[in-house]
Amino acid sequence: MRHKVLVVYPHKCTGCRICEQWCAQTHHGEMNPAKARLAVHRIHHRQINVPVACSQCIQAPCMEICPAHCIGRDEGTFGLILDAEECIGCRMCVDRCVRGSIKMDADAEIPLLCDLCGGDPQCVKHCPEGAIQYVPFDQADRGFREHHALRLAGEQGGGQ
Amino acid sequence: MSDIAGGLTGTMLRVNLTEGEVKRVPTPSDRFERFLGARGVGASMLFDELEPHTDPLGPRNKLIFLTGPLVGTMAPGANKVTVSFRSPLSETYSFSLCGGHLAPELKFAGFDGMVVEGRSDQPVYLWIDNGTATLRDAAHLWGKLTHDTEDAIREELGDPEIRVASIGPAGEKRVRYASIQADYHREFGRGGAGAVMGSKHLKAVAVRGTGSVEVADPAALAQIAEQVYAELAEHPKARLRRRFGTPEMVEATNQFGYWATRNFTTGHFDEADRLTGPELKQKVYIGDNSCYACPVACGKVSPVTRGPFAGQAIEGPEFETIGLLGANCGVSDPEAIIAATAICDAYGFDTMSAGASISLAMEAFERGILGPEDTGGVDLRFGNGEALIAITRQIAERTGLGDVLAEGSKRAAERFGVPDLAMQVKGQELATYEPRGVVGMGLSYAISPKGGHHMIAPTMGLETAGDPARRLIPDGKAKMVRDTQLIMTIVDSLALCASMRFVLGLESMLGLYRAVTGIAIEEQEALLMAERVDNLERLFNLREGLARKDDTLPRRLLKEAMPSGASQGNTVPLDQMLDEYYGLMGWDSSGVPTAERMQELGLQKEWEAAQKARGR
Repeated sequence: MRHKVLVVYPHKCTGCRICEQWCAQTHHGEMNPAKARLAVHRIHHRQINVPVACSQCIQAPCMEICPAHCIGRDEGTFGLILDAEECIGCRMCVDRCVRGSIKMDADAEIPLLCDLCGGDPQCVKHCPEGAIQYVPFDQADRGFREHHALRLAGEQGGGQ
Repeated sequence: MSDIAGGLTGTMLRVNLTEGEVKRVPTPSDRFERFLGARGVGASMLFDELEPHTDPLGPRNKLIFLTGPLVGTMAPGANKVTVSFRSPLSETYSFSLCGGHLAPELKFAGFDGMVVEGRSDQPVYLWIDNGTATLRDAAHLWGKLTHDTEDAIREELGDPEIRVASIGPAGEKRVRYASIQADYHREFGRGGAGAVMGSKHLKAVAVRGTGSVEVADPAALAQIAEQVYAELAEHPKARLRRRFGTPEMVEATNQFGYWATRNFTTGHFDEADRLTGPELKQKVYIGDNSCYACPVACGKVSPVTRGPFAGQAIEGPEFETIGLLGANCGVSDPEAIIAATAICDAYGFDTMSAGASISLAMEAFERGILGPEDTGGVDLRFGNGEALIAITRQIAERTGLGDVLAEGSKRAAERFGVPDLAMQVKGQELATYEPRGVVGMGLSYAISPKGGHHMIAPTMGLETAGDPARRLIPDGKAKMVRDTQLIMTIVDSLALCASMRFVLGLESMLGLYRAVTGIAIEEQEALLMAERVDNLERLFNLREGLARKDDTLPRRLLKEAMPSGASQGNTVPLDQMLDEYYGLMGWDSSGVPTAERMQELGLQKEWEAAQKARGR
């Protein structure tokens, strides 16, 4: 089986931010969503919530651009690993992330990178809506089709 | 903090708008020990800081915003912030709660709450940014709708993630039931806190917080949280809320004949089928929204198709809104109700008091007390959705008849010469439960310290459980109201959403409290704290001169038999329930707490102050 990746479904997200809470708690032992490695971005005027999370790019721009070569990945999970000692805090990875998912840890002055919790991502485990899922790479495109197909067909009314 | 090891930041803000001064002050930890948090601490501070008979719209009134230890933590549904104030609508003690994401943001910014006092000469807004707070000019924001205010502030501060609470034109023009809106469609809805904010020339509060909330025992908290998620996922009522939002209550409320209809002329709405949860789910809702840390996601998103905000979307409509702007105005067209709700949210005023004020005008119109010359030509009959939208807009802008209705149903009905037609208690409009069909709610409305309100002691579920016929009789209702009231006081003081009660009993709530604060509170002790809060709220109102005569209901509900529906023939036997309730509370027959009870609750000083103000 191919490695697994995070897949987000904005149309399922209700914006409770339980994912952010568990991420921050797992990695920092803190009740502080600002320290989470993903964020739910709310677009107020459209009343929608979009989970913004690492997608485990095959050729990850964050790794490639890093001038300190301090971003690596776990061979088993493909999750990102930061060598915090070597990090120079330049934020190039933040700029380059194609999902906009990298936040800076304001206290430690290093980027917050998704390590997939060692293969048991807590955001996925605790999302009450299935709005973020952890699926094999070769199946990661399958979950979108029906939603978009229904929308194109104009049959989606009445919520999800 | 003395013993509290987690949860609180230890700092509050004191904002003096007259002086243009913002100070960081210590959180009064002793008050949190005696009154638990949010609602309770707010009541205690308001009692001590307000002189009796403070003008609700004068500079001496205060807006005391408070969270509690659980807010910002993993505690499920702990996302409320309360505001305590003297209400310009009821002229009583009042508080209101707002969910969404404002409360945790305030904690992450480093503050447990804030006291806003005085009055600014010029419009200002408060910018709270991670431990600091400043007042900024808001002249360019004055007059803006709530949504536009939020967007403009995020734009000028250059951060799309800032949370904003604001008032709209209704608050500026002191509509007596103006709200404070946050996250577009969450609000401090009831009692007119928005009018108080408008009177102070405070347009908005913007918050950015990126800090942590300390927790005494994170592992224990995480364990309880996971258990609560699992229980909520299985709980039938929570599942209904998830799918249909609060309108899941429409069917039962109408079926049992306690859905206030056409200005409480009856308790059964013939056209309720168009407004049930499943119907709205199928035909209206386009999405779901959740408040912070809550897995229920009862918020529903509905498109606005008519009125001035057509093309936008609202969060809602909630059950109470559907009741008061809908059934109680005889309107069954969801599009009209949603259009009116969008006006309320954008201009910033309470859908419930608006609906009950409009229903009063509709009844007056049908009786010929008002004519087209009074309504600006609007054919203000029950059931006319276009008229509903038109008059809601008049209230929003305080034009024509709307200017009278903006004063609330009590004042409007007096002006029309028909005071008995205002469906209110102590000046605040009743909620959508028709008490002739669920008599314990009649007692709840009568004893509510903030005027007619359903969440002081929401007994309707208990009254219909088992044998639904029990809802029509007074037996056991005083105890039911008192027990429910105590639990709700704890829920509100812990800043939890009331929906968490589906699975969170008192023991679990105190488990959350212990995990966060490190302090174990026994159930009896917690109930005593709740009783202390409830009595303090009572003393505030007694100090203002209120008495047993104010614990009453509109004449219609006491004297006229319900004309139709499943509760046909019933009235509310209030006096009997009231006597029993006073007895259970340790109050005398005039509704004044006894000296003995005050001693047990440690409220002698406050009691003496209230007695002195009453000339006793």
